[in-house]
Amino acid sequence: MTRFVWSEEFELGIDIIDHQHQRIVEYINQIYDISAADLDAATGENTAEIKQVLASLVDYTVSHFAFEEALMEEADYPELSEHQLVHRQFTGLIENLKARCEQGEEVSQKLAAVLQQWLIQHIMTEDKGYAELVKQQLLGIEPEQHRHWVAEAVSRYFQ
Amino acid sequence: MSLQWSSDLEIGIPVIDSQHQRIVDYINGVERAHQHHSQAELLEVLDELIDYTLSHFAFEESLIEEAGYPFCKAHKKVHALFTRRIQAYQQSAKAGEDVTEELAHTLKTWLVNHIKHDDRDYTGVVKANMNEATKRVKTKSGSWMARLFG
Repeated sequence: MTRFVWSEEFELGIDIIDHQHQRIVEYINQIYDISAADLDAATGENTAEIKQVLASLVDYTVSHFAFEEALMEEADYPELSEHQLVHRQFTGLIENLKARCEQGEEVSQKLAAVLQQWLIQHIMTEDKGYAELVKQQLLGIEPEQHRHWVAEAVSRYFQ
Repeated sequence: MSLQWSSDLEIGIPVIDSQHQRIVDYINGVERAHQHHSQAELLEVLDELIDYTLSHFAFEESLIEEAGYPFCKAHKKVHALFTRRIQAYQQSAKAGEDVTEELAHTLKTWLVNHIKHDDRDYTGVVKANMNEATKRVKTKSGSWMARLFG
């Protein structure tokens, strides 16, 4: 794996959520960098540092999920409970990794890879699922296809 | 390591910036209590920190509500989550557990992330609303002045 490079394709178009996702990416990259340095030094002495990053990652993710769930709730997103379940599974996953790390299990870049894969997949599928509705309900932004329809109608009638 | 206040923590709304700065002072107080190995000092500063943070949250929430910030509910939920966390630490500290180091770390990371990401998001809306309000007051007093001396 490589470092996670943020790109436009991961954006939902809700600035605050995009920023929160980027913060999570920074934490994952931090884990990647520490474990990469660890591999070079072959000492395994950076475990304490990884533990601290993992603790911050858990904290930040829990807060981000709470924020996101509040948006979905307010927008009456019909798949809220499924989404919440996925969030809980992910929190469980990081907490489990943190516990294993605390028990002295060697952490490797595999850990960063698991987190990275999960996040990309989650943003690209589940998060994209709620984004349109939240934008419409909370920000008053019309959905893509509707905008196109309006634009088409305008160009049809006002050529 | 204590948390240094710097311009990258400013969101550009002076009243909020000074409140955040005060919270940073309290967090550094937690750090000092840790250095002094003083549980009594920790409990005292924690009491003040929680008190102050709760009023800051209430102030900030009314500001964003007033300005029509679209993510008020979510922002409030994050505040509530943080409050519960800190209160849980306070309970553990009262029960005699040594939580100071972990607590200091949590407070620092949380505040910096929250300011830089969540708070910065409402700045535009709140500033615009404050400018509008100032303009309204000025026009009002302007017309009053005009009536009186016109």
